[in-house]
Amino acid sequence: MGLREDVERFREVGEERREDLKEFISYGDLGGSGPNSINIPIKIVDLPEFAYDRRDMGGVGQGQGGTPDVGQPIGQPRPQPGDGDEEGEPGEEGAEHEYYQMDPEEFAQELDEELGLELEPKGKEVIEEIEGDFTDVTRTGPNSTLDFQKLFKAGLKRKLAMDFDEDYVREALKVDGATADDVFRWAREENILVSRAWIEDAAKDVPESEKGAWESFEEMMENVERTTTIQRIRRDGLRDIPFRREDERYRHPEVIEEKQKNVVVVNIRDVSGSMREKKRELVERTFTPLDWYLTGKYDNAEFVYIAHDAEAWRVEREQFFGIRSGGGTKISSAYKLAKEILEEEYPWSEWNRYVFAAGDSENSSNDTKENVIPLMREIPANLHAYVETQPGGNAINATHAEEVESSLSDEGNVVVAYVKQPEDVVDAIYRILSTEDAS
Amino acid sequence: MRDDRIDARKEAARLEEPVREAGALARKLGLKPYPVNYWIVDHDEMNQLIAYGGFQTRYPHWRWGMTYDRQRKQDQFGMGKAFEIVNNDNPSHAFLQESNSLSDQKAVITHVEAHADFFANNEWFGMFADDGDALAAAAMLEQHAEAIGRYMDDPEIDRGEVEAFIDAVLCLEDTIDQHRAFVNAGSPREREEREDLRKRLEQLNISEDVRRQVFDEEWLDRLEAAEKEAAELEEPRKDVLAFLREHGMRYDDEKDRAVEMEPWQKDVLDMLREEAYYFAAQKMTKVMNEGWAAYWESMMMSEERFAGTDEFITYADHQARVLGSPGLNPYKLGKDLWEYIENTANRREVADKLLRVTGVSWRNFHEVVDFDEVQELLRADPAIDGVRSDALEELLALGEDDPRVDHEALDRALTDPDAVDVDRYPWKVLTYEGLAERHFSLVKPQNRGFLGRIRRSELEQLARYMFDDERYDTVEEAIADVNYAAGWDRMREVRESHNDVTFLDAFLTQEFVTENHYFTYEYTRASGDFRVTSSEYEDVKKKLLLRFTNFGKPTIAVYDGNYDNRGELLLGHQYNGVMLDVQQAKGVLERLYDLWGRPVNLMTIVKEYDDHDLEIARRRNREPEPIEVGKRIRYDGTSFETHELEADLEERIAASDVDYDTKPDDWLA
Repeated sequence: MGLREDVERFREVGEERREDLKEFISYGDLGGSGPNSINIPIKIVDLPEFAYDRRDMGGVGQGQGGTPDVGQPIGQPRPQPGDGDEEGEPGEEGAEHEYYQMDPEEFAQELDEELGLELEPKGKEVIEEIEGDFTDVTRTGPNSTLDFQKLFKAGLKRKLAMDFDEDYVREALKVDGATADDVFRWAREENILVSRAWIEDAAKDVPESEKGAWESFEEMMENVERTTTIQRIRRDGLRDIPFRREDERYRHPEVIEEKQKNVVVVNIRDVSGSMREKKRELVERTFTPLDWYLTGKYDNAEFVYIAHDAEAWRVEREQFFGIRSGGGTKISSAYKLAKEILEEEYPWSEWNRYVFAAGDSENSSNDTKENVIPLMREIPANLHAYVETQPGGNAINATHAEEVESSLSDEGNVVVAYVKQPEDVVDAIYRILSTEDAS
Repeated sequence: MRDDRIDARKEAARLEEPVREAGALARKLGLKPYPVNYWIVDHDEMNQLIAYGGFQTRYPHWRWGMTYDRQRKQDQFGMGKAFEIVNNDNPSHAFLQESNSLSDQKAVITHVEAHADFFANNEWFGMFADDGDALAAAAMLEQHAEAIGRYMDDPEIDRGEVEAFIDAVLCLEDTIDQHRAFVNAGSPREREEREDLRKRLEQLNISEDVRRQVFDEEWLDRLEAAEKEAAELEEPRKDVLAFLREHGMRYDDEKDRAVEMEPWQKDVLDMLREEAYYFAAQKMTKVMNEGWAAYWESMMMSEERFAGTDEFITYADHQARVLGSPGLNPYKLGKDLWEYIENTANRREVADKLLRVTGVSWRNFHEVVDFDEVQELLRADPAIDGVRSDALEELLALGEDDPRVDHEALDRALTDPDAVDVDRYPWKVLTYEGLAERHFSLVKPQNRGFLGRIRRSELEQLARYMFDDERYDTVEEAIADVNYAAGWDRMREVRESHNDVTFLDAFLTQEFVTENHYFTYEYTRASGDFRVTSSEYEDVKKKLLLRFTNFGKPTIAVYDGNYDNRGELLLGHQYNGVMLDVQQAKGVLERLYDLWGRPVNLMTIVKEYDDHDLEIARRRNREPEPIEVGKRIRYDGTSFETHELEADLEERIAASDVDYDTKPDDWLA
């Protein structure tokens, strides 16, 4: 339909096509998340227009709880009337928000639902017994406690149970002389869960010319490949999940012992000369949602940011994504520093640990094998992840990711993900978080 | 899929009664909405409709994709939910989200009925449709979608070229003459039309300030003088799109010169211009229209108890969320202003009657009138106020001629109690007059004291030409004669003729600005940031008007289509003291070149600051005085040149006495 195409065209504007509009694109800033809210990045293309100079125009604001004094600085002007309109009236101008604020917990939930994750944060310290999470289920309840995951799973089961390879059965209808009855019997024998009514409907749609395409069922089965449900889901995606009212479950609280869930996330980033702008952005795009997700999952999340070239140093978040240096690369320097910090400040007995590193896989010779891999083994963590960002394919000497993958993939808490373009980010996040899930 | 539709159908069945009754109630309250068709949609369909501006089909373009993408994310992450969308068409189409609660649906339906009334009766909406012609917006937009879609699919035409052409036109979609009817907006303004417009403006009773802003009285005047001098330039044309349609060309690379536009280009330009005019009315009346809908929604939902008692809390919550969102909220601003209009009209009506009581004059009004007594007397007749199925006899007792009672409905209710559910819909047995008395604003608790606060100057004005000033012997008699519908009558008058600019100008008050803590801000060079400059209502109004006049955009007009005798286009920015965003303007010129095919020029005035002055300003904490310089920016298809502007041209675009600056002279001292 039209709108899907419009979305597609929009994605390409200023990127693959319409270079002329490039200068009018603004991306919502991925960073800048406050302690209790995060921003969802979105792309905005503002066509130029005859407009007033923003500075020269000034504006009208509304004080919260009083009129501010004349002369008081107000920071960046607030959005103007007409923005944030719930109705999206016809002719509404593009609002000036570049992103939406949301709560990390909601984000984590959304991501769980979106990706079907079931990451259960591990409690590390028993604090007290209180009325716990909404983990018991009932059949009715307020909408906000609907256990969507359960509903989704039940729907998925239904789908798996009801799903069959339509094309395959259609082919069977082309068997010479086969009636709907024959096909139905054949299908039952083949254990294909198709209804008689469906076959009768489908039979009407088989063009005369194609009838008799196969001599017999045997010939057809030999020549036509049958796809499994999994293959079809992979190919077509999970579009129509049959949700049923009777599958709905609502969570309600139970009394549990509350464990304080602490998490420390170490973000390591290669800032050497080979990490160009594109790669840097990919790191930010991958790390930021991971951070939000974990913030949303745990009661208490702390972050350690380590930048490195041939040496490593600890930085603040604000600087983390911006730093660039010229030097070479020695990834082990960062892990050494991470190990020190973790041992000193975040003992494994009290903290869940996540160590995420990102770079373009370039490393000084033998550093990976001789230093990094042993260090990764030595640092206990829920998860070690390495994100390789390589827009436009691999360089010859970029082997760090491969080496880590081949030597540590059995560890269960090590994962390597590859991000070549923004579209890969979601897959990478899924890959990383589902690895933790399995452990 | 089938399951979804069953849900939608169930929802539709559930809403049949609310829809029917809301329509009936709206008409009882004096509204005259277009008929509305309601559709139940799921959230994804809703996102699509929002992306398409309330319609089901639009021409292919990436910006719908952009809105859809954003809407979807917003929806997905639970950041704000769309309840409804309604489009301006006859009949109007409103789309309700399937997952809304019943009370939300009812609120939305009452809201929609009020929007449909606004669409049907506001004159600015009338400017698009030919007189008498039925509006068929959905059909028009669908035709455009088909036609543009065909051009895009045409193998002879490059799809990217069509898209770039659309973008170029969209950059200029606000440079139209939105204050004139669509059918003749493209042609130069005629003298007699100007006269006509002036007369109508006088009837509107709006301030000089706004007239100058909105209707460009000034350049009209200047124009007359210029004509006498047999000016070499024809009069400025605000409808830049129409001018481009008539005289625009395209640059042909092979021939190395401008040639006639392709037929598809002309066609696309025509269609987009038509859409720009269609949507202009909505953009011009946003505050009024949203406020109007919020006012009547609240009247029907809470005052007339259209929300069932069990739904009332949900409704109150819904309304608080909509009206309570921070910033300058058009719903809240509009609704408050409408209530202010209602109250002042009602007060004027009551004061008018009181001044006709023997012994009451504008001088002693506040001393002799007992406002508590008046308040009591104004209270609605108990029979009208407390309509219930077991109290119908009391209505009957008011007599057969009582204009407040819908006697036909009352008879039906009395003979067959099941036919009219009086407890649920008490308004059914009342008329417009009855409902006006029932909801007279001045007796509401929040408006107590409003009558007493009437200014002496207003009373004096009322009394000045009053001949019949001893008509009543007592206050009782006077109050008995009060027309309770005065407020609503006045509101409907205002909704017919005003747009946001005139509305704000006429009704924004100091009281309103103070209560809502509005303030203005400006950028200061001395400190390099934005600072609060004023909380005076004149200043707030000034800035608000700037934001709403001409869609909040600078006015750009065509001053010459054959500039310098070389076929160049000359646009002029009618400078009102606020500078253009020059960088964006250059972006527009680049795209404008594709519509003109020859070099394009823009005259404007920029403010320049002397480095030395800036330095002094910083040290002394005082704003530097800008130097205003006329510039002509020229783009020839490859590069920009900036020239000093000739003095005679500069004079034509500069305003003499408009001032949007709210900075106090010594405000940082």
